Amino acid sequence: MWSRGWGGGAAGGFCRLAVRLVAGPAIGWEAAGVARLEGRTRSKIQKLFSTSSMLSTENNKSTASKDSTTEVASKSQEGTAEAPKQKLLDIIGSMTVEVSYRKKLKQLKTREIKKEATNTLEGPGSEHTMLQRTTEDVQGGKPLNPELVEAVSAVASSLPLNKKQTESELLAQLRRHEETTEKQKKGGIIDIRNVISEMAVKRQSPAQRGVRISSRVALKLDEDDQRIKPERLSPRSFDSRRSLKVGKRLNIFTKASKETENALKTVSSPTIWDLEFAKEIAAVTAQPPRNGFEEMIQWTKEGILWEYPIDNEAGMEDDAEFHEHIFLEKHLKDFPKQGPIRHFMELVICGLSKNPYLSVKQKIEHIEWFQNYFEEKKEFLQEI
Amino acid sequence: MAASMLGWALRAARQVLPSPCTRQVRSYYVDWRMLRDVKRRKLAYEYADERLRINAIRKNTLLPKELQEVADKEIAALPRDSCPVRIRNRCVLTSRPRGVKRRWRLSRIVFRHFADHAQMSGVQRAMW
Repeated sequence: MWSRGWGGGAAGGFCRLAVRLVAGPAIGWEAAGVARLEGRTRSKIQKLFSTSSMLSTENNKSTASKDSTTEVASKSQEGTAEAPKQKLLDIIGSMTVEVSYRKKLKQLKTREIKKEATNTLEGPGSEHTMLQRTTEDVQGGKPLNPELVEAVSAVASSLPLNKKQTESELLAQLRRHEETTEKQKKGGIIDIRNVISEMAVKRQSPAQRGVRISSRVALKLDEDDQRIKPERLSPRSFDSRRSLKVGKRLNIFTKASKETENALKTVSSPTIWDLEFAKEIAAVTAQPPRNGFEEMIQWTKEGILWEYPIDNEAGMEDDAEFHEHIFLEKHLKDFPKQGPIRHFMELVICGLSKNPYLSVKQKIEHIEWFQNYFEEKKEFLQEI
Repeated sequence: MAASMLGWALRAARQVLPSPCTRQVRSYYVDWRMLRDVKRRKLAYEYADERLRINAIRKNTLLPKELQEVADKEIAALPRDSCPVRIRNRCVLTSRPRGVKRRWRLSRIVFRHFADHAQMSGVQRAMW
């Protein structure tokens, strides 16, 4: 879903990542990134995508103005940019500002375009391995700017989360941005036909999709805590063209832990006072009906009005099959097999089997009552 | 007059309705006779199954007569208000014992009153 030819998608994706990682002291990376930038006017893209606060613009202007002269000199070299970078880091580290990552990223991208000519394949060993790992996913295989990589490492170190992970994620995002910028550069005029044809090529065949969905379902057995057989679900998910399980998880909702649920259940045993309180609230909040529809709704809730379309079996929860109603001889096990009582009971059963108004439970209760009655009268009967 | 004063003072028992409806609710029965009728209906509902079973023993030719006599005594021992024969279909609004139409549970006077004021759904003055 995310790879569907969305031009600014990479930036959006990175913004999403950045939103997750936003913390107080996450300004170190900002400083490093800003330190590398020149003081230039914002491009059209930046204006379109910018959601920055006033503080961030001020920040940018101040840093740009401070380092414009130094930046121009240190465009191609790294060493001279260390001093202003440190200054900036100190200044911005003290401030707590929420800066728009999107704008910064766009600035980085434009800088990347300019730096392509003077690109060098440098980089320390650890980051090289990171780059290698990220290049596996990407088709282009273009190496990242070592300054950006250093900036990424600085950010990862400043953040409190898992550093290696954040580093790799940031590098992957940067890769994707570079890809899009390359495409935009080389493609020139966006040919819609190519885009659409590309989308057509990407569409999976139904069989593949079914297999993928089933595999995903099989993988997510533990997560969803359901014993879903993949055979059963795949035709269903295949029928709905857009199934719910396809696509990347957004991780918006956190799965509620079962322990808290159990704790809640054990705690709440409704006391009389709770019930009274609930009744009071219901009485207070119950407004008189504004129109005839609300009146009818109220009547339906109270049970005065039936529910339409009329269900002939409303209120009747007889889950028993017809054979349970008719064949009641099995309940006559404890009765004597000969004699007037048996005859009498057989008549009783015949009558009950023809009765459509009683439930099976009621019929069994009748038979049991007779059983009890005759057992009590056994001594009396034997005297006769 | 004294009887009516007594009747006014000692109102019929209040019936507590389980459903929390906020409309006007009739909290008293019209008169004591209606209350007694209500009690009889409740008891008849409670003892309906037992009466049916004991009567099934009494009213057949298969079982020995001694058993049936015992059943007779048993059914006579049940409370008197539990038999459905004692229920009288009174008018719901006025408790009139006679002239009550079963479909509407109203006496003829009340029925006429409401029908003339067009408060009975589907009821019209006959003319043919």
